[in-house]
Amino acid sequence: MNRFASIAKYTVMTVLAVISIIPILWMISGSLRPYEELFKYSSSLNIHLFVPVQPTLANFKEVIFSEGNPFLRYIANTLFVAGIVTLLVLLVNSMSAFAFAKLRFRGKAVVFALFMSAMIIPGEVTLVPNYLLMNYFGWLNSYKALVIPSMLSVFGIFLLRQFFAEIPDEILEAAKIDGASMSRTFSSIVLPAAVPPMITLALMTFLGNWDSYLWPLIVINDEKKQMIQVAIATFSSVEGTDWSKILAASTISTVPILILFLFLQRYYIQGITMSGVKG
Amino acid sequence: MTSVTAAAKPASKTAPSSKKPRRFLRGEEITAWWFVLPSFALLLIFVFYPMLQAFVISFQNYNLVGSTRSFIGLDNYRSLVTDRDFLASLRHSFHFAIIVIPIQTAISLGLALLIQKKFKLTGLFRTLYFIPVVISTAVAATVFKLIYNKEFGILNNVLKTLHLPTTNFLSNPDTAMNGVIMLGIWKGVGFFMIIFLAGLNNIPQDLYEAARVDGATKIQQFFRITLPLLNRTTAFVVIMTTIDAIKLSGLVFVLTSGGPNGATETAVYYIYKMAFQQMQMGYGTAAAFILFAIVLAISLVQMRLFRNAEH
Repeated sequence: MNRFASIAKYTVMTVLAVISIIPILWMISGSLRPYEELFKYSSSLNIHLFVPVQPTLANFKEVIFSEGNPFLRYIANTLFVAGIVTLLVLLVNSMSAFAFAKLRFRGKAVVFALFMSAMIIPGEVTLVPNYLLMNYFGWLNSYKALVIPSMLSVFGIFLLRQFFAEIPDEILEAAKIDGASMSRTFSSIVLPAAVPPMITLALMTFLGNWDSYLWPLIVINDEKKQMIQVAIATFSSVEGTDWSKILAASTISTVPILILFLFLQRYYIQGITMSGVKG
Repeated sequence: MTSVTAAAKPASKTAPSSKKPRRFLRGEEITAWWFVLPSFALLLIFVFYPMLQAFVISFQNYNLVGSTRSFIGLDNYRSLVTDRDFLASLRHSFHFAIIVIPIQTAISLGLALLIQKKFKLTGLFRTLYFIPVVISTAVAATVFKLIYNKEFGILNNVLKTLHLPTTNFLSNPDTAMNGVIMLGIWKGVGFFMIIFLAGLNNIPQDLYEAARVDGATKIQQFFRITLPLLNRTTAFVVIMTTIDAIKLSGLVFVLTSGGPNGATETAVYYIYKMAFQQMQMGYGTAAAFILFAIVLAISLVQMRLFRNAEH
């Protein structure tokens, strides 16, 4: 009976795992096929549904060196924006988190409450006024519109504050007695102690920006400046039938992020756990 | 800048009379404000000011093209509650929510239970279940578009092999939402599995031991110990899923563009269409405010329900 139960359990787990990753494996294998082959083996379930018969890199070549849709450029744009946003998010929000965790100042409770109350305001409500604000600042069609409003992470402040609060006050006192300024204490004692949560926040911010779609769609008009997700969506609706190229473009945009995740998943999952347990 | 001095000055006047702690506190206070200032400025400029603006704009007839603005009071709201397209978009969002919430919650709890006990392959399975969460929305939607394809898609191949009728979900208004729902669940389950896993790990193991000693079956243990003690986690998962479902947009944008025939047009899609395609900023913003009110009400009600259930 016990043996039967464990076989059943493994079967269910395997089936679900297959459902989870088949679309991705199929995307990658499809991107390696010539167009004629893509649908040839799809009429029945066999090994060639997933293994290309005549593997080719032509789709990648065409997508990467295409004049109209330079995907490497979109990736570079997105890496640039997501990278800068991530650095700024770490800097700006760790500073506030430190103040909220370790410093005494009047109005702290009120200001902190303001930050926390911002969590209930969905970005969809402020979409139009934020667009008008970008228009007013003259930031439309520039990366400022993608970077500057994204610098704030209320969740990041919340997350880092928890970690900073656990640093013993004695260490900070000792630094103060030794004559270290507050910013010195922050940069050489507090930050190094919080590397894991900083990686967590960095990964969440980076992936979030890599995935962002609606905001870039609204504020960026110049195709050459566009972000990868909007580019893929436009590409698949413009190209329409050339599915091999569409799959190649999707694969190009997925592989880097998948590798990043596989290396750092421990931290990413930690961050999600935090948001669930505290929420 | 002004907020620093404004906040720091009255502080120094009302500081306690003993001299030493006062000077110390003042220095610390100024530094603290400098540390908070960047994020506080961002909060005021990009969250609170736009929120206030949104409130004002929602009472205006604001057309970006002719840059005409005029105050029209409650007219936007009045038209919205009788706007058939807007009401349909809300219905689509709720349709998505009502089906996704139970299925997604059940599957993610099930997955969490399956991989909770550590064995050799736990890590591998957890990673495999989680990968769809990392796949970007546009890519997932693009690939699923092809998977749903009637002639070539793998989904229909599987259906054919099992001798079930094949269909292209996305081109039929009656089934298109099911296509969106399946993709939503595929992409969302892993995220909530992790949250349930964290919740499960917080349940003390000796409770189960005591129950075993008393002769409770696995099923009894699940309904008497696991579920009740997971209450807070479940509440969080259900609230998050509801809010995500009601704010659903990205998947729909890429997978169906609201079609066929508006069958998958969700509330956020409708807001986008009004504000940025038809340039009716005031009307779109009023719709966004109605959405906000609904989201807020739902989370308040759910929090109440789950809090009561706890006692």
